[in-house]
Amino acid sequence: MAISRDLHSPLEQILRRSDIWRGRSRDAGTRAAVATGHNQLDAGLLHGGWPRGGLIEVCQNDFQGEWLLFTPALRSLEPGLIVLLNPPAEPFSQALIQAGVDLDRLVVVDAPAKAQFLACFTELAHTGDCGAVLGWQPPDNLSYTEMRKCLLAAAGGTGLYTLFRPCSAQRQNSPAPLRLFTRVIPAGLEITVFKQKGLLQRSEPRPLVLPLPKPWRGSPPYHALHGERPAHGESSPPSPIDFRESS
Amino acid sequence: MSGRRHRLWLALRFRDLPLSALDATPAPDEPTVVAERQQVVFCNQAAGAAGVVRGMDLTTARLLSGCRTLSRDLAREERALCRLREQLYRFTPHIDIHRSRESGLVLEISTCLRLFGGAGPLCEGVLSLLASANHELRHGLAHTAAGAWLLSFARYPVTGDETRALFIERLNHLPVQVLYDHPQAVETLVQTGFTTLGDVARQIRGASLGSLTRRLGKGFAATIADIYGIDRDFSAAALFPQPVTTYIPEETFRESLQFDDPVHVIDHLLPAVESLLQRLSDFLRLRQLECQHLRWRFSDIQHRRETVDIKTDASQSGWELFYDLTRIRFDNRPLPFEVDCLELICLDSLPRGDHRRDLDLTGERRPRSTDRELAVTLAKLKARVGNDAVYKVGYRDSLLPEWSHAIIGLAEKTVQRLPDAHRHAPRPAWLFTPARPIEYRHQRLYWQGYLTLTAGPERLAGHWWEESVARDYYLARRQDNLTLWIYRDLHRKQWYVQGVFS
Repeated sequence: MAISRDLHSPLEQILRRSDIWRGRSRDAGTRAAVATGHNQLDAGLLHGGWPRGGLIEVCQNDFQGEWLLFTPALRSLEPGLIVLLNPPAEPFSQALIQAGVDLDRLVVVDAPAKAQFLACFTELAHTGDCGAVLGWQPPDNLSYTEMRKCLLAAAGGTGLYTLFRPCSAQRQNSPAPLRLFTRVIPAGLEITVFKQKGLLQRSEPRPLVLPLPKPWRGSPPYHALHGERPAHGESSPPSPIDFRESS
Repeated sequence: MSGRRHRLWLALRFRDLPLSALDATPAPDEPTVVAERQQVVFCNQAAGAAGVVRGMDLTTARLLSGCRTLSRDLAREERALCRLREQLYRFTPHIDIHRSRESGLVLEISTCLRLFGGAGPLCEGVLSLLASANHELRHGLAHTAAGAWLLSFARYPVTGDETRALFIERLNHLPVQVLYDHPQAVETLVQTGFTTLGDVARQIRGASLGSLTRRLGKGFAATIADIYGIDRDFSAAALFPQPVTTYIPEETFRESLQFDDPVHVIDHLLPAVESLLQRLSDFLRLRQLECQHLRWRFSDIQHRRETVDIKTDASQSGWELFYDLTRIRFDNRPLPFEVDCLELICLDSLPRGDHRRDLDLTGERRPRSTDRELAVTLAKLKARVGNDAVYKVGYRDSLLPEWSHAIIGLAEKTVQRLPDAHRHAPRPAWLFTPARPIEYRHQRLYWQGYLTLTAGPERLAGHWWEESVARDYYLARRQDNLTLWIYRDLHRKQWYVQGVFS
């Protein structure tokens, strides 16, 4: 016999909140998501894509395939502004045009101080028309409380809110509902989802590898001339260029 | 019955404007002249007594009187006239500036006669107001603006009983030399025996304005028509009077609050900030204005001053955004001293834009305009991190990657078409400007790790019109598998990292 429950009791009201996870099911699967553009990754994510209105934490060293990871989703987030907060270098207009990113929707904000960074992140997350915020943690590490501020701000929005943090942050506690570790390996971009709120991981997370775009892989001029590709593990042929400076 | 109101013009000629605008106050017995292009445009009484006259060569004037010479400043004269115009706005909204050899103001007063009890009291009020300015003032009243200006050279008292016929009679008595803007025509008239404007008027009555036009030119005939208020094609009175311009004074908001005790904490300043901004908002709404630029000015009892400017991309008439921006700016900087007085100045107000909105007939609650919300957010970000730290990137046609990458303002439209040369060539998502130099270690390239070339070269050469550039670009793989865009500068023989594929 089913136990009748008082739906209006305070406990039941708390349990019915979307941000309460009860550790036994995919309750949180109804959250809106944006397809990542990578089928393998979508399959591994609880919501079938990047969650909207949640905080995504990407732990990586500088320049580890962030555009490769997010460009397909950014392209599909129309309309809405894409804000790069504190990026590690200038986003190159030629590459972005090639990738199909609308530059009129892309805004860069430099906020190197932590207080400014947090204020800007929360301000942007509270703005309705901000489709995505990609923020790079400033040199000062963000504490758990500060991460929680970002999370609460993101929870009020409907966009894609991502924080890039160094690898060392992986060992720290974080309230972000989705946490990833990425690095470029010879085979491609390795992605390890090591925390997903709402999904119990019973074993060590298994990384998945996204192939790198063909132009990145390149081929040495020697092979290009002969229409061949170097065999796996074969060392590159000697470069035709003499690196020694002839002053 | 004619319901048309006859116009009445009051001309005010400021004889000494070239001198008074310079704020120079020479002693009455000190000969002083104001000169423009080595010619005297004004001389005071002492210089005049020594024989100096307007239009005289400056050297001659100096020889005659040993006068002090000042250079004419037309911009200051213009500002002085604008100030006077603002003062006279209380009498009539129709005020024109008359610029000629001498400058002054011309007021159309027919619409204000009843309010001031006739032309006599009105003129009296105007003259008493200007008496405090210590100008050498001459005035004239007539049925046309040009006629009133000319009658300021004759001294007729204003009684209020003047009629159009009387004005014409007075004009007829003026010598033709008052038409100094037409020196050639005046010379011709004098040679042919015309001595007064009345002679010219009689000529027009006898042979129409056309004959005058043929003999002395269109410009001169038009001047005569303007003076007498007659049609330029017919000798009758003009059928349609020239429209009068309405002067709209420039309104600026400037209000301040004095504190009982000096304020040294920003939080204590905020109620005053809010109050001043609300007053500004009322000021703007009443006048259908908006503004984009505010200035806060703090001062203390030692008269130290500091200003903080607040700017927004979108003009506003409400106070809330300005309050938020002010708070952000104040949060980022402590008060420079204990503030005794806070002043708010509104700069660059402009007419309120055409904000069209759809009629909401359903009465349903709708989300706020996201565009507006976004503009507010970006304004706040700019206030927090500075204007230059919030920007867009775009493409600019150039051979060099760092030149083709444009940093532009948020309001600007980006160029998003690449030429064929760049459309399919591999380009990194991150660009280093300037490029980072690469070391050379153990006969290998090194930048945070050893590099191996994987593709290239792509040669970019040219840009000879500024500094000749020759670069070979390569894709290189660092030992941690990161793909870099590097180049070799063929002139400097040095390797650089230009970007990162990521």
